[in-house]
Parts: sequence; structure tokens; C-alpha cells
Amino acid sequence: MTTPVLVVDRVTKRFSGHTAVDALSMTVPPGVIYGLLGPNGAGKSTTIRMIMGIYVPDDGAVRLLGDGRGGADLSERIGYLPEERGLYPKMKVLDVLLFLAEMKGMDRRTARPKALGWLERLGLSDWRLRKVNELSKGMQQKVQFISTIMHDPDLVVMDEPFSGLDPVNAQVLKETLFDLRARGKTILLSTHIMEQAEKICDSICIIARGRKLVDGTLTEVKRAHGGKHVLVGFDGARGDADRIFADRRLVAKHDLAALYAELELAPNADAQEILKDLVSSGARLSRFELAEPSLNKIFIDLVGPEAATAAAQPGTEVARA
Amino acid sequence: MHKVLAVIRREFVERVRQKWFWVLALLGPVILGVIFYLPSLLARGGGVKHIVVVDATTSAFGAQITERLSRAESVFVAVRVPASPGVVDSLTQEVDAKRLDGFLLVSDVTVDSGKAEYRASNVSSFVATGTLQQALRELVSTTRLEREGVNPAVVARARVPIALDTKKIAGGKTTGESGAQSFTLAYFMAFILYFAILVYGINVMSSVLEEKTSRIVEVLVSSLRPFQLMLGKVLGVGAVSIFQFGIWALSGRLLVSQRSRLLGAGGMGDGGQVWQLPHISAETLLLFIGCFICGFLLYSAMFAAVGAMSSNEQEARQAQQPVMYLVMIAFFSMFAMVNDPGSTLSVTLSLIPFTAPIAMPVRWAAGNLPAGQIALSFAFMLLAIVAVTWIASRIYRVGILMTGKRPSVKELVRWVRAA
Repeated sequence: MTTPVLVVDRVTKRFSGHTAVDALSMTVPPGVIYGLLGPNGAGKSTTIRMIMGIYVPDDGAVRLLGDGRGGADLSERIGYLPEERGLYPKMKVLDVLLFLAEMKGMDRRTARPKALGWLERLGLSDWRLRKVNELSKGMQQKVQFISTIMHDPDLVVMDEPFSGLDPVNAQVLKETLFDLRARGKTILLSTHIMEQAEKICDSICIIARGRKLVDGTLTEVKRAHGGKHVLVGFDGARGDADRIFADRRLVAKHDLAALYAELELAPNADAQEILKDLVSSGARLSRFELAEPSLNKIFIDLVGPEAATAAAQPGTEVARA
Repeated sequence: MHKVLAVIRREFVERVRQKWFWVLALLGPVILGVIFYLPSLLARGGGVKHIVVVDATTSAFGAQITERLSRAESVFVAVRVPASPGVVDSLTQEVDAKRLDGFLLVSDVTVDSGKAEYRASNVSSFVATGTLQQALRELVSTTRLEREGVNPAVVARARVPIALDTKKIAGGKTTGESGAQSFTLAYFMAFILYFAILVYGINVMSSVLEEKTSRIVEVLVSSLRPFQLMLGKVLGVGAVSIFQFGIWALSGRLLVSQRSRLLGAGGMGDGGQVWQLPHISAETLLLFIGCFICGFLLYSAMFAAVGAMSSNEQEARQAQQPVMYLVMIAFFSMFAMVNDPGSTLSVTLSLIPFTAPIAMPVRWAAGNLPAGQIALSFAFMLLAIVAVTWIASRIYRVGILMTGKRPSVKELVRWVRAA
């Protein structure tokens, strides 16, 4: 296995008595889109801030890019989009981008064509000499997005990148992320919108109340949680379907309609056996599909009871998730 | 280092691009000029007065005084009329109708007893009454002396004005500075230092606050250390202030070199006596710049911490008060220090790092500042800068990422002590 881009090793962060992140570990391999998922207040932003070296963990360690140094020292190779977006309102768009590129270790001469290229690509060319506060919120987000990836970082860390984006811009962002991944870059993003994570992420880590509930590749997580489902559609003849579905060795639960059935397989049952039995009993099928539960369902199953009760966050330090 | 330079550059460029910078740059000298020339401007008040000299003398005195007053052409246009019954009444009506500013009554008694009468719509003008008094006094004494048979040439020689020249002794040497110049110098240095330290310190504060409230600080802190960011900010704003001083110095020079012309236009040849221009030596300039830099570094670090611990402008305005009081103490104790620059209070104030940036130049200008104390004071200030910057950067580091209520003093102490 290649060296992970990011290793979070049992990090803990406490804020005046309240534990925002509790001994959380995760490993992000290179070239993937990794989703850090969790309900509001789960500790996603706190984790990301520790990864970025903005917060110092009370316990545990973060290793970035196989390097022992912190985020500020590696800023040339990391792009960071914080959850709370902000730019200098009175600066011109291009000037902001150049300044932020300098913060990432680029010099202005190299940064200028890149900034202009990205502004062009995201349709903001005409706005480059306008002040930031003249731009709409969506446009400002795009500018900030450019500032995150303009220096072509190896690791991009984005806290809730899709929040506040309209569908068109969300699509642009998604394509850009895929493009980055295709070029071997690694992306870590946090979100609480599972449909989005399911469409984008290769690997995920679900946390709640500062603790990890599950992590792994999307396929692994789906395989490990929520069981296997089979969707069956009949094309007229049902054969001996009723008897087969009642067999508890094969089917744990079934939901039967006239021409349609959703089965939850019994543990260790083989779907192929059901298919064989159905066909040999004379049933004509229009559909036989092995279905995975949606990430949303897994998430709700796992987080459900806790999601509604995110721990209170006293003190001046407010940990956002 | 590259990143610190980028922060400095941004602070500098963005500030110099702002309108207020140029307003201050151009308005500064104008305000200074107004303060400088206000006395002469005010003294001139009302312009030329048209008066009539009612001459009841039997000698040439009336004609002479009229001629003398007309010489002060920026103050008076004087016309002589012989005294006759009813003339006072008709002149009073003229004054009432504002066709005339006033009239002077002279008679033989004037020469004997020194009594004359000036009736006018406005008798509170210093310049008018002063000019009248001086002209009368000189003419009366000349006339009396001549009456006693004194040679007019002798009288003229005796009239040569006395100029009391005050020279300051500093460091065992007599300098070319007068008392008035010393005060002017002390006042201006203290005022400019006070003003600049406050304005630019608050600039650092609002810059910190801007990054904090716009939340851009999170991106910055993930790219460079908070201390680098604070350093860049302080130095960037400091560079703006030095640039501002440069502009002021240039325009100030221009103003000074043109001052005779400006004053001449006002017809106040000796107006400069009120505000004599101090001689600004290289040492004075050096001390001034040294004090500004130390004062600015010291206070802007504190203002940066204040900005970092506040969440909005109102909070910052409250939190900045203690820092502002420190500067104000230094400025307002200036008046006590000018009177007695060697007093225990003055010496103490010029050694305490927080008041020294203003107290030292004041004592220097007033002519009492041993070299040893300068060295000691600068040493203290440098130590204080290191200490205050260390504390401030720790508050800054924690504060810029905080939201919510302003921290208590106890919490601040914890921030400073946190590793």
C-alpha cells in the first residue's frame, strides 16, 4: 500500500470541559476523494482544523503528506477551504487571489496567469478588477474555491464545500474535484449531505459526537452495514414465489406486492439460489437486482439516536461540525 | 520570510490605495499649518479699519499720528480732520451706519498727560488697539523729548527696539533655540507622536479585526504562523505611517519655506514671534523617529491583541480603552513636563516604556535629557517591546480563531500561559 496522504492518529480536542473530538483516527490514501461525514456538531470542523494545524490536538497526532511538520509549513502542498467563507471585502478579486497565492508560497508572477486562467474557467474574468464585496455570494465562493486549488496542491481539504452553492456551481465544483482526483490529487471534504457524499466519495469516515462510527471505502462500508437487499419484479407469472420468500434460511424479511418484492437476505444466504428457485418454479422475471442500502440509510441507522442530541458546547470556543 | 513580506506588502498597498490615507496625508499639513498660523490669522481679524483722527491739537501731533497710523497699512486707513463742534456727533453716526470703523480723539492734553480716546464699533481687536497704543506711546514720548530740547537723532537712536533673546543651554552648549521654540518643538513632537501612535495602532487593530470577522484568518493561519501574520501586519502599517510622515515632512518643509510669503500676505511681519520655528537638528529627528518606532511597535502589538480578542467593532472600542489611556497619560503629562523637565515625575515618565515615547521628546525639547537616560529609556522600551509582543502574540494566536463573548482577564492569562 502506498504511503497515506494523511494519518490522523487518535486525536482528541477538548474545549472547556466538553470533548469535541475523542480519540479519532483515520487514514486517507492518495488519489481519492475522502468524505468526513457526520451530523451537525459531530466535530468535523474541529477535526479539519486540527488537520490544518489551526488547532493543536490535546492528544494524538496528525501526519500530513508523510511529513512530521504542521499545516503552515506544508501550505504549498495543501489547499484549505474553511467552512466559514471569507475574503477581504475591499480588495480587488485578482489582488486577493495573488495575495492568497503568496500565502501558499507562490510568487506573484507565477500566480497571475494561474489566477486569470481559473477566473476564466469559472466565468469570473470580467470581475477580476472588481472589489470582492461587489460580487454575489456564489461568486465569492468561487473566488475562494480558486484560492484553495490555484497553487495545485497535493491535498485539498474542504469543509462543507457544497453548502450554499446552486446546482450549476455544485456541478462545476464536482467536476473540478473529479479532475483533481484524475490528476492524482487527494481531496478530503466534510459534509452532512449523504446523497452528495455517495456520489462523490471513494472512502468515508462517519463520526458523531467526536467519535468515529465507521470508516473505509464506500463499498466496504455499504457491505458491512445495513445488509443485502434484493429487488424482484415479476413479468406476469409469479411461480412459487410465496413459498420461496417464506424460507427463513434465504430471506430474512420480505415486502411483497402484486408484481414487485423487496427482500432482505438472511445472513449467509446467496441471492443466486433464490433466483434459481424462482426461475425453476416457473416465475417470469422482469427484474432481479442486488441492491445496496443508500449511504443515507446507513448514516441514519448509525447516527440516528445520537444525531438529535449533539453534545452541548459551552464556553467561548464553539466547535462547529 | 516571503510570506511576512507578502503580508507587509498587502497592508501597505491596500492602505495607501485608500482614500483616507491621502485625505490624511494632504490634510495633515493643512491642519498643522492652521495651528501654526492661526494666531496670526486670528490677530489679523477684521482686516483694514477705516478711521478718522479728530485733531484738536495746536501742534503737528495730529498730522504726525495720522501719518504713523497710515504706515500700518494692513491695519488702518487713517484720515485727519480738524476738531470742530458737531464733528464727534456726525462721526458717531457714520460709525453707526458702518461707513466708518472708528475715530481717535487727540488734543494737546494727549501729549501732556498721555490721554487719548478711541471710539469704534469694535474695540476688542488686539491688533487695532495694540497698534494705536504703540503709535501713540512712541509719538508722545518723542514729542515730549523734543519739547525738552533733545536732539531728534538721539531720540531715534534711543528708540532702537530691544530684543530679548532666550537661548537654551543643553548639554553644556548654548543652542540657537529660544524658549518659545522649545515649547513649540515639545508640543509638536508630543502631539504628532500621540496622534500617530493612536491612529496607526488603531489601524493595526481594525486590520486584525477585519481578518477575524471575515474569517479569512483561518486560511491565513493554515498558511503561516500567527506571529508571522501579526508581525507582517504591524510592520506593514508601520511602513504606511513612515510613508505618511515622509509626505508630511515634505509638505511641512514647503509650508515652512513659504511661510514668510504666507505671513507677508497677512501683513504680519512679526507674526512669527508667536510661533517661532524651532531648529530641528539631526539628533532631534533621530530621537523623534526612534521614539515613534518604539512607541508604535509597543502600542500596535497591544492593539493587535485587542483586535484579536474582540469579535466586532463595538467590543474592540471598549477593549481598546485601557491601551488608549496609557497613550493619553503620556500626552497630557507633557504640560507638566515642559514646565519642569527635570522633576521626578518627568524622569519617571520618560523611563516607563509606555510613556517614554512621548515623554522623552518633550524633555529633550525642553532641554533636560541626559544621554544616559536616553540610553536607559530606549533599553527599557526595547525590553518592553519584546515582552509585550510576546504576550500580545499569544493572545493574538488564540484570539483570532475565537468567536463568541469577549474573554475575561482570567481567560486572557490562560491564553498567554497556554503552550
